[in-house]
Amino acid sequence: MSSEIAGDTLRDEESHPAGRPRVPKNKKRSGVTERDRPLWLLAPGGFLITVIILVPLVLALYMSVIDLDQYTLRKWLSTPFIGIENFVEAITKTELLRSIWISVSFAVIATVVTVPLGVAAAVVTQNPYRGRAVVRAVFLVPYVLPSFVVATVWRTMLQPDGIVNNILHGAGIDPGLWLNGPMSYWTLIFVEIWAAWPFVYLLALAGLQSVDHEVHEAAAIDGALWWRKLREVIFPYLRGPVSLAFLLGTLNHINNFTLPFVLFGAPAPADVNVLPILVYVTSFQSFRFGLSAAMAVVSLILIAIPLFIYLRAVKLDVSEDGGKK
Amino acid sequence: MSTQTRPRTSAARNTNRAPRNGRSAQVTRLMPTWLIAVLTTFLCIVVLVPIAYIFLASLNTDTGVASGEFWPSQFSLDSYSKIWGSVGLGKGIINSLVVAGSVAVVSAIIAIGTAYVLVRFSFVGRLTVLRGLLGLQSIPGTLMLLPVFVLFASIGAWLGITIIGTLWGLFIAYLTFALPFSTWVMVTYLRGLPRELEEAARIDGASNLAILFRIIVPLSWPGIVVSGIFAFLLGWNDVLFASIFTKPDTATAAIVLQVFSASQEGGAIPVYSQMMAAALVCAAPVVILYFIFQRYLVGGLTAGGVK
Repeated sequence: MSSEIAGDTLRDEESHPAGRPRVPKNKKRSGVTERDRPLWLLAPGGFLITVIILVPLVLALYMSVIDLDQYTLRKWLSTPFIGIENFVEAITKTELLRSIWISVSFAVIATVVTVPLGVAAAVVTQNPYRGRAVVRAVFLVPYVLPSFVVATVWRTMLQPDGIVNNILHGAGIDPGLWLNGPMSYWTLIFVEIWAAWPFVYLLALAGLQSVDHEVHEAAAIDGALWWRKLREVIFPYLRGPVSLAFLLGTLNHINNFTLPFVLFGAPAPADVNVLPILVYVTSFQSFRFGLSAAMAVVSLILIAIPLFIYLRAVKLDVSEDGGKK
Repeated sequence: MSTQTRPRTSAARNTNRAPRNGRSAQVTRLMPTWLIAVLTTFLCIVVLVPIAYIFLASLNTDTGVASGEFWPSQFSLDSYSKIWGSVGLGKGIINSLVVAGSVAVVSAIIAIGTAYVLVRFSFVGRLTVLRGLLGLQSIPGTLMLLPVFVLFASIGAWLGITIIGTLWGLFIAYLTFALPFSTWVMVTYLRGLPRELEEAARIDGASNLAILFRIIVPLSWPGIVVSGIFAFLLGWNDVLFASIFTKPDTATAAIVLQVFSASQEGGAIPVYSQMMAAALVCAAPVVILYFIFQRYLVGGLTAGGVK
């Protein structure tokens, strides 16, 4: 579909050399000209997205049904078609189902914890006080730090002889391993939460700022208690931002490659073998490219569910006069 | 004919409009003061303790950090001088700056042209493109990595050039992955611009390009900066593509930082203090950019709705 647009655009460019000043034609009151459309401006972006995203997407689908490994990669165009064998193998003989479970449960737990944290952070910085700007800047820090830095730092702190265990020993607790074994799953969730709650905070902040002052006054006149006011007056304003945070947060957590990769390395310990790591290791360490493509396609299907809800819910076109031809 | 922006966009751009006198602070108060204090303190501690640790560990010695010290028994700046020699962090940072910087500039230029057409003109498939811009932001990178790798290898072999392992390959990949979000940021920004100036210029006989460069671009600097910075961040923060598409001499800062962990797994003495110093150096450009443009970026983020 996008290639169509790119084609369209190029033709347009030929027929109307750009940059030449034109005599204004009769135009509609709306200001949208139908005839002098510089559609060629869509060409660079359309070309790149077509070649580097859409073509590879089709390629990924194709690779998932051929027998591609390191021996056949050079002649991938003539590699034998094997139908759904990669998918069957991925489901029956690999860690795929387990990885899906790890990824989904990890994403859901991380989202469920970050949403209240982020909303609480937005609520507590709502009223001005001295030093609020500093607090807001502090709240942004985990969001601002690159994921690979966050993961490197936590990896260092959670080493067997690292600072965290040292402090816990001091408190008389025997902590054990964080980066390997069953605890690693909770380590991943914890670090993800640490890094991701400010995203919800930012969305919730924008939602809170849309609350009119009159609403506050009305609630004050009613003499509502703070928690009732919060629940019944303010939270309805946050329904949009919070649903957005749920959807995008879950998508971001499921897609997060950097954090588990840097925190645990690849191949990952069995308890944190999330989907992105599994797909990565299957292609670039086991060199089972076809199998890996099949896994990636499965993960795309998984992503498609929240993504579809998101795309349906977002209002794409808010200007009244555009969009319809 | 008013172009209304989405509520969260306009809200994010506004500063807090609530009057600041004491009575209205009472009215808008959402929680008792003690609870605000408790929650704020809790969140600040959760954020700041690890941050303090990075600074302290980077000023410690490698053995001091390895033995689990929080407060260094011996302060030194040695780690900051060692990191440049031991793993070539300087080269990595330059590579990252070159790639992410050029991605930022080029994607902002492409994004504003694309967004101008998407906002001001109608054509068949326009809504599909808008929806695609949002949808493509959530395509998992791990799905794209292998086919893009194969594509680059095949195009390279066909044209007789090397793409994998060069900064060009990274540049093209990051540029394309940055475009959906950069363009979406510009789309939301341009929607907020009044049309009157453009219409006046059009009546005076200005061409579309003249309108774009003389009117839209000068008015859109905040949006251009935001879309450029987010593209920069995408390049700077990526590990996935850089781990496959680079050779040692084209490695980005993110990859060089991983070399510390790798060398330690190889049995070498752990260099945690250097690792923390290097982590801070890698974070510095991003943190500085963020806090300079904080106001714009927060609005831009909520407009785009995606990190």
